[in-house]
Amino acid sequence: MKLDPFPDPKTPSLIFFALINRVAEVQIDILRSVRLQDRENCCLHFPVVLVSPDIFMFSHRFDFRMFGLVAICVIAISSPLLAVPFLPPGHKPVPHGKHYLTGATIIPKPGVTNLNFVIIVNNGVIESIGPNIKPPADARIWDMTGTTLYPGFIDIYLTLSQSASPVVTTMTIPIQATSRVERGVRFFGVPGQETDSGIAGPSYENDRITPEKRASDGFAPDPKSLESLRELGFTAANIIPTKGILRGSSAFILLNESNPNDSILRADVFQHFAFEPERGGDDSYPGSLMGVIAATRQALLDAQHHRDIAAHLKTKPQAGIRAPTNPALDSLQPLLAGNMTAVIEPGSALMVDRAWRLANEFNLKSIIVSSGQEWRRPELAAATKSPFIVPLNFSEPPKLPDADDWNQVTLDQLRAWDWAPENPALLRRQGLQIALTMHGLADRKQFHNKLLAAIGRDLNEKDALAALTTTPAELCGLGQMLGTIEKDKIANFTVVTGTNYFIPDAKIHSVWINGQSFANPPQKPAAKKPIDPPKATKVRAAKSPADFRGPIAASKSIVISNAFVWTSGPKGFLENTDILIEGGKFKAIGKKLAAAINYTKDTIIINGTGRHITPGLIDAHNHSMILGGVNESTLPSTAMVRISDVVNSESENIYLQLAGGLTTANLLHGSANPIGGQNAVIKLRHGDAPQDLIFKSAPLGIKFALGENVKQSNWGDKKTTRFPQSRMGVRTFINNRFLAAQDYQRRWLDFKNGKGTPPRRDLELEAIVEILEGHRKIHCHSYRQDEILVFLRLMEDFKVQVGTLQHVLEGYKIADEIARHGAGASCFSDWWAYKYEVIDAIPYAGALMHNRGATVSFNSDSSDLARRLNLEAAKAVKYGGLSEQDALAFVTINPARQLRIDQSVGSIEPGKDADFVIWSKSPLDSGTLCLETWIDGKKFFDRDHSKKRSTDLQSERDALLASAKMTADAGNGDFNAAVVAFFRHAIEHEQDQHGCFECGDERHKR
Amino acid sequence: MRTLIFCFTAILCSSAESADRFLIRAATIHTVSGTSFTPGEVLISNGRIVAVGQAITTADSALLIDLKSLQLYPGLIAANTSLGLTEISGVRATQDTTEVGNFSPDVHSWIAVNPDSELIPVARAGGITHVQVTPQGGTISGQSGVIALTGWSIEDMIVRKGVALHINWPEMGLQLGAKTKSPEEQVKDREKKLRELDEFFNEADAYAKAINSGATSLSKHPVWDSMLPVITRKQTIVVQADDLRQIKAAVAWAKRRNYSIIIAGAKDAWRVADLLAKEKIPVIYDGTYLLPSLENDSYDAQFKAPATLHRANVPLTLSFPIGSWSAANLRNLPHLAAQATAHGLPQNESLRSITLNPAKLMGVDDRLGSIEIGKEATFIAVDGDLLDIRTNVKRMWIAGNETSLESRHTRLYDRYKNRPIKKP
Repeated sequence: MKLDPFPDPKTPSLIFFALINRVAEVQIDILRSVRLQDRENCCLHFPVVLVSPDIFMFSHRFDFRMFGLVAICVIAISSPLLAVPFLPPGHKPVPHGKHYLTGATIIPKPGVTNLNFVIIVNNGVIESIGPNIKPPADARIWDMTGTTLYPGFIDIYLTLSQSASPVVTTMTIPIQATSRVERGVRFFGVPGQETDSGIAGPSYENDRITPEKRASDGFAPDPKSLESLRELGFTAANIIPTKGILRGSSAFILLNESNPNDSILRADVFQHFAFEPERGGDDSYPGSLMGVIAATRQALLDAQHHRDIAAHLKTKPQAGIRAPTNPALDSLQPLLAGNMTAVIEPGSALMVDRAWRLANEFNLKSIIVSSGQEWRRPELAAATKSPFIVPLNFSEPPKLPDADDWNQVTLDQLRAWDWAPENPALLRRQGLQIALTMHGLADRKQFHNKLLAAIGRDLNEKDALAALTTTPAELCGLGQMLGTIEKDKIANFTVVTGTNYFIPDAKIHSVWINGQSFANPPQKPAAKKPIDPPKATKVRAAKSPADFRGPIAASKSIVISNAFVWTSGPKGFLENTDILIEGGKFKAIGKKLAAAINYTKDTIIINGTGRHITPGLIDAHNHSMILGGVNESTLPSTAMVRISDVVNSESENIYLQLAGGLTTANLLHGSANPIGGQNAVIKLRHGDAPQDLIFKSAPLGIKFALGENVKQSNWGDKKTTRFPQSRMGVRTFINNRFLAAQDYQRRWLDFKNGKGTPPRRDLELEAIVEILEGHRKIHCHSYRQDEILVFLRLMEDFKVQVGTLQHVLEGYKIADEIARHGAGASCFSDWWAYKYEVIDAIPYAGALMHNRGATVSFNSDSSDLARRLNLEAAKAVKYGGLSEQDALAFVTINPARQLRIDQSVGSIEPGKDADFVIWSKSPLDSGTLCLETWIDGKKFFDRDHSKKRSTDLQSERDALLASAKMTADAGNGDFNAAVVAFFRHAIEHEQDQHGCFECGDERHKR
Repeated sequence: MRTLIFCFTAILCSSAESADRFLIRAATIHTVSGTSFTPGEVLISNGRIVAVGQAITTADSALLIDLKSLQLYPGLIAANTSLGLTEISGVRATQDTTEVGNFSPDVHSWIAVNPDSELIPVARAGGITHVQVTPQGGTISGQSGVIALTGWSIEDMIVRKGVALHINWPEMGLQLGAKTKSPEEQVKDREKKLRELDEFFNEADAYAKAINSGATSLSKHPVWDSMLPVITRKQTIVVQADDLRQIKAAVAWAKRRNYSIIIAGAKDAWRVADLLAKEKIPVIYDGTYLLPSLENDSYDAQFKAPATLHRANVPLTLSFPIGSWSAANLRNLPHLAAQATAHGLPQNESLRSITLNPAKLMGVDDRLGSIEIGKEATFIAVDGDLLDIRTNVKRMWIAGNETSLESRHTRLYDRYKNRPIKKP
């Protein structure tokens, strides 16, 4: 089937050609609903007569609806199927187009086998298929005995150049103050020294948001690359754009060698998204995963605004105001209108959930590209109900020189390797559609091997075939043309020698594309026999992470008897006291309660004799469970980024911190900018998905920062152009953004009152408006007394009460002012001397501020200290002589008050959440051990149980190590991309082996 | 030789300044080396302990210092630190911790100590009376010294020079990623680095042999001269090594060359506790507060490592990771020992690991590390169990001199505690 009447683009006038070409593209869209033979019977008309001159003046995407209308008219009277061109002398004539294929086993679609069928191909299309059809006199006869014909394989996610590697968002990156330089959206730095020039010409403001880019533009494939794809059995592919976050649209192509106008079956198939924080040397916004999500969200809002303002001006024209030109935002309109599907490459199991939620925010139809990690949380993938595009780039274990070198391989890396081949089947088990792709394979010849590995792990052949044929065809909207061997479909076949593609040693005999046969060169016998994976890897040794997390015990009814209770409430210490818990809440606390209640068989009884019980500890400053960067450090205000987008439920830190009695943590953005990102308060319910970890009733918050970090004092000598560079400028900057937010507030109010055009939704200013309105609390990183006071006064000018001052090292010098303002003081117990601005920090600060009436907490700011906050609290007794109850309150009720969650946590009082810790001794005694940690009446940590857990993990690792070593030994030992991938696939454990986030001491970060 | 005389003079001078004779009475005296006395008394003369026991009868009238409820411990010793070489980690101008160059045995740490560092009184306030000042950088970083945390000048403070030669064991972990070399190539690199280290010692051996033979053609070089104490087995070697592979390689190297070494850092030492015990290699373990390396390690793997090492009979010193951060926080040394005790290290071993054991490693246990007759009168008096965070150090003597516990922190505390209440 040919859509373009002019195989040689030079033939008629250029404009004429371009027009035809454009129309042809959209025709494809419509073809799905029009039967092919109807069109064959139509006579040929040039559609130019029907086309409005508008087409020449605007991008074809400017008004999609209008254009669709034109296209339908075209279809109605013209035929897309054109005569074979009659070439002039000197050219090889186009071959005869009628073929009779006989003798082959035919698999017309997944799950069906036809043994004695023949196929007649006419002019690129399957004219008939069935038994007992005689060869037409004018057909070339192909005896294909000994082969099997499959529908032509399709790769739905192909890069022709092989240059794109898969997106990876599995890493936790600590704060690295020197790693990013500022630039980007609306904060271009000091005039004359901007580092971001954006894209020349009309475009979106961020040069990694380029939805207007089209894979079809400039499509001119190298014949050799097409040939190599055909040799692997592929006949068609959807080629994708590879750069940026909103990358542009893909184009569906046939892999034959013909005029690009012929081989592109459909342009603008999908719009492509990738959650890809910047790689390499370029330092523009966004530089973190949460920044990528925020930038994507803003771009989609901008596209909506672009649409709305145009619509608004149509109905209410306003003098002097016209809709702006923006090709990027134009090209997102089909997506917003539901006429196009978003393909999102999230890069990790957790971001699958985020991708789906983001798509839902904008009612986008979506397809998700598997990261190979969905085994971590199959339920998140299942919930999307989206089709998945599944790369088969499974990692391979390395050959390591020394037995001890294996000690640096983590259990998580081994699990990722062992689970990978099972991931496709796992997605199918969730009831999800899958389409397979060679994407991410450094050596595409490995595709067949990897596919067999997946089949060896429960992917059935029918599903595998569908994933290469019908599913990609349907997802790309080409189900009427491709995917099966049926009458009237394009004659695309993958021909295999023998009876089955899905066995080792299967050979691709040839492929047919658009009715043309491409025979594979006869394959020489392989020098080395392809490696048969050792038996051990055919059975999974890896367990699910879910086996090692989640409540160890839980009951509606729990009784703790005869314990020493630190209530952190008005009742203080209570000796020989019983606690009753019902439905996850404390019900009663008092003496001799245990004897009086009705026990059921489910009641959990805890003998508290000799034990100390405290409320679950609360950390008001924690960075441990954040995926893909703690700082969006590029811009001086990043109020639009949200930690809640990137909570890392997979972090081992959750368990380590539970083991120290921590139950609630305030996950904060870093301190690289005066206005940082939005925080997330979580409960450490180990095993819950990110969204479920969120402390639902905690008020919204945001990180601010003052002093050395935000003026980039310690970022190296080159970082001197971002505003602010001084404490003077910090106030100026924050003042500017608050005034901007007030202006924004007013513009919206005006619009709601019928004035002006719809304002753009600005996620940065929206967050600041929420501060002004009092429902987003500021947590402000601060050091010196002057900057603290200036900040408090500035906020008072805006009638804002600061939630907490974080670190607040010199807060003790102005304790009265802090107490009067009502800001909480969330400090380190005793850190000092690591930067110039902490030269006056003293360990007595907590006690001093407490004594002057401020609400004081001790925080961790460190994955280490978060494991022993009770002992940090003990330092409030040591330095300044606080009572033990007041000291413990620094890590229980006080941080709860600071985070405004004290109505439900922070003390052991009736009605509050049953979050508590059982200690072997006083929690302030250095010899104490956390024995059990409970949240909402469920036990998440048990010291005795932890021994078994660790033994089980150890034996799992031993089994995996044995299997990995055996596989590595069987391999050729190359240090190839698949081996590198082995090391990349760990979530969380990669870079988080350090203590604190604030200090710059390298040795401390081991 | 000249410097050695200097050193002795300094100590004699400081002793001469102390009160001649006094008796300290305390609720408990923790001798560390032997039994504790409750109550206890210790008699000091000319800066040295002349008697210790439950009750001491003296012929003369020694000045009595009655500490009442306070408990007396030997001064704490922090091994492998940067104290005195650093002030503010973020300000480069204040850093003297690290030198460039790969083989610098002639770099001496103790000569660069700032006696007026604000960090020193803060460490003292936590009970630290002595520290080992260790140079960093390169493969052979230089030589460490032990200083007392009091004195008008460096010369007053120095207790022992040339305590050890410090080697940063070459990195043996494989860096594996898209831009790295293959494991085979990396192994070649790491073997090359080990050969270089070994070759350096071969050359030092050859130099020592030439010196010994009295060869006159030899041109003296400070680098090789600085290696002589190690080559002649008069000086110990501290090897900085965390990774299992580094520790094993260092142990094998020392055995082959017959050196006595100490492993510092030692994050993975607990995995090879038996090997270290067999080879009688002491450990300066600074990994107590580090996160476990592997997710299948138990959550408390690093907390209980000191107990594991002790059970295997490895001589154990506890300290913090070397560097600026720790230098500012040495006062928390007893808390580190307390954490080890909570996780299985016997209480007295915890005390030893921050007193007598480091004194032994540094060759100063004839004078420091315990309350024994003949040793220096270096004590701290505390108002509770030393290993409890809530406890405070109340008084301190170094070589018989009572030493101030005031610091920048106490001064700022006193000043702002007394700030008049601000009226609205």
